Amino acid sequence: MTKLFLDTDKYGDESPSAVVAAFHGSLHEIVRQRLEESGAEWKDFVLGDATTLITKKDFETVDRTLVDAGHRYDWSAGISQKERPDAYKPADGTSDADLATFCFVHPDAPLANPDAEGRELRGVGDNVVRYKENTTGIARYIRSTDRVLKWLTEGVPENTIAVIDDSGGTLTAPILEQFKGVICAGGTVRSHLGILTREYGIPCLMNAKVNGIMEGDTVTIESTARAKTAEDYQGQTKREVTGNVWRIAKREE
Amino acid sequence: MKLDYAQLLESNNLLQINGDETYWLCVTRTVQESKLFPVPAYMLMSYLNAFYRYPALLRKIEDHMSAEEVGDRARHMGAKANAIAMWGLPCFYLLGREWMINMGLLRPQDAAEDVAYILDFWKRFELSFRRNSGHLTAFEGGHRGQIHSEAQLQVFHADLYDCKVGDPLHQAAQAFVASASQYAFLIACESRISLHNHGPYNLGDDRQMIVRDFNDIAEYDFPWLDDVAEAVPYNNLTVTMATRGVNFNIMDDWGSFESDPEFKDENIVGVGLYTSGPLSDGFLPVGMGSREELTQTFLDLNDKVKDAMSRLWQKMAGWSRDQMLDAGALTYYAIIKDLAHIAGCYDPEDWIKIDHRAERFRPLLNDEYSRDALGEICVGAAPSHQINEYMMMMHNDAPTRIYSPIPYSILLDGDYAPTVGGVEPGITYLDEKKDVYRTTEGTLSIDEYNARVRKFQPELHKEENRLFCETSVKYRYDTPEADALYKLYQKHSRNLVGKGAGLRRDEVEALRQKSNRG
Repeated sequence: MTKLFLDTDKYGDESPSAVVAAFHGSLHEIVRQRLEESGAEWKDFVLGDATTLITKKDFETVDRTLVDAGHRYDWSAGISQKERPDAYKPADGTSDADLATFCFVHPDAPLANPDAEGRELRGVGDNVVRYKENTTGIARYIRSTDRVLKWLTEGVPENTIAVIDDSGGTLTAPILEQFKGVICAGGTVRSHLGILTREYGIPCLMNAKVNGIMEGDTVTIESTARAKTAEDYQGQTKREVTGNVWRIAKREE
Repeated sequence: MKLDYAQLLESNNLLQINGDETYWLCVTRTVQESKLFPVPAYMLMSYLNAFYRYPALLRKIEDHMSAEEVGDRARHMGAKANAIAMWGLPCFYLLGREWMINMGLLRPQDAAEDVAYILDFWKRFELSFRRNSGHLTAFEGGHRGQIHSEAQLQVFHADLYDCKVGDPLHQAAQAFVASASQYAFLIACESRISLHNHGPYNLGDDRQMIVRDFNDIAEYDFPWLDDVAEAVPYNNLTVTMATRGVNFNIMDDWGSFESDPEFKDENIVGVGLYTSGPLSDGFLPVGMGSREELTQTFLDLNDKVKDAMSRLWQKMAGWSRDQMLDAGALTYYAIIKDLAHIAGCYDPEDWIKIDHRAERFRPLLNDEYSRDALGEICVGAAPSHQINEYMMMMHNDAPTRIYSPIPYSILLDGDYAPTVGGVEPGITYLDEKKDVYRTTEGTLSIDEYNARVRKFQPELHKEENRLFCETSVKYRYDTPEADALYKLYQKHSRNLVGKGAGLRRDEVEALRQKSNRG
């Protein structure tokens, strides 16, 4: 069997990602085959014949092999799942019908019974900017372009605290300005959504670990909490810096 | 190009500098994902395009203008030839290389001549672009991005209009900056490439100035802005912002900042607005004739970018995945395309196409593989990153490094493929770019634009001006040469025109205050 330089890597372990390991394992086999077929030395092959002998079809085979074996990819962009539903996991929690029963369930979300003020702890997040008051509104999930398009046309319902798992700034670009607050289940305070909410002066918790917040619940986010810094993320300050997410009332059924 | 030991030593040092900074920049965020765009997928595609095309395109640029002259010119405009673009130059190329190593498609010594050239180009650009601070990166400078000379900063400082929370100018500026920032993220398909901050610059009296550039916001290089952004009158806008009561303790090469206490819009106490580009010979004031004019300009621009943003979002939401992937990949890959504009050799075929060698990889780029592969190559978790167990990486003490050095053994055995060669044909799923480019001299075709740039001889770049540096000014500020240089910077300034080189910061502030009082 033709040897590749990777076969004698003294320190490198296998990729920690199963999908990356599977793809790269298949690719290494293809490279071996094509190198052998070419009969060339590596240095003549690698930036020469390899670019014509290793084709788009080879890369399609790598992908198809894993899908045919039953793997279904995680999706992040809605368009990916929409165009290849057979290759991706289902898109739960994106349609209005799904959202009647959908909620984020983070295993590390701290939970507590209602306190004296009736506030039920449902999670925490990283506060982007410290404001003088906490922020209360109605939780509404945004996980698809369909909902953005609808609200772009009809306007965002008043008092909306957007619950998002997309730390980017493009999905909600045309309507972000209308949110009262944001709970984002990903990213950090330095992610794009964190940057933009700061620009607009919209209270926002990033990297939120929440559990059980349903569409229509009344929630309060602790926008008076200390803002999280790069030093906090790197562990240099040795302090836990989070803002709470409380449910004040469940939605009316 | 025959490589020698000294060149390899320097290349590997520059490579390591970039690796350390890239790790820090990536680890203080998460892997970027979006419900709209397949972000990791397009990032990976851009890295491959950079790997296959940057070497030939940088050589093409240097056929017209050296890297160090491009760097000097770039300092005098708020174009996309800035810290984030120049972070992207080596890093997108090197991330593509590292990914290919892990796929078994490249050894660390292959394309060695390209690697050395890319890093050498980058070094020469950065040394000239950042010559006023003397650093190669913001990271090296303690996370500060202090680009400008005193002459430029005095103009920005002198012409700032005072503002405070609740007044019409503050409201208009804040609204525009927020809208334009969001528009910039959308134009750049979720990346921060069309938006950049640098500074801080110390104005005294507990005030710091940061400078924010918005790039590619009009009809220019990106086909997705054709028709959508026809009403946006400037392609590059620079907003100068004086702040009080905050210390910007981090201003990194992605233009992200942190401050103590955290920055809020109430901290903004002064603003200004400029445009610039390869034909402008410095920064041109926009709506700066009076406070009222500036307020109205911000309001008008805010309306225009909000309208363009809404139209652009609807256009993008209707795209196929291949179109989204192309737009994102080309935004990333073309992060340095303004170098070609500055040199007068821009060709959309070079910058707005996916090279067929990179295009082959498209079937790999599903969301999950892309997320995981990108995460691995950016934070040092891939097999190629692992080194001997005695070593401890900067930032995390792990035995890893982000970019594989070129092995010195190639000087013994010559066993390497030197280069990927020239640019090869490319494709795109996007609409073809209209031949319309918004410049500071109006809307031009690309041929006309290139021709004007090649003919243009900026006054600031005549040798007697270009080489009259901050140290020259320190000891020779009272000479006619210094005076002439400062007057060039001041020629469009409301408060400093004709003042020359003798002013100190407090005197500039006094002139500014007098003007603001009316």
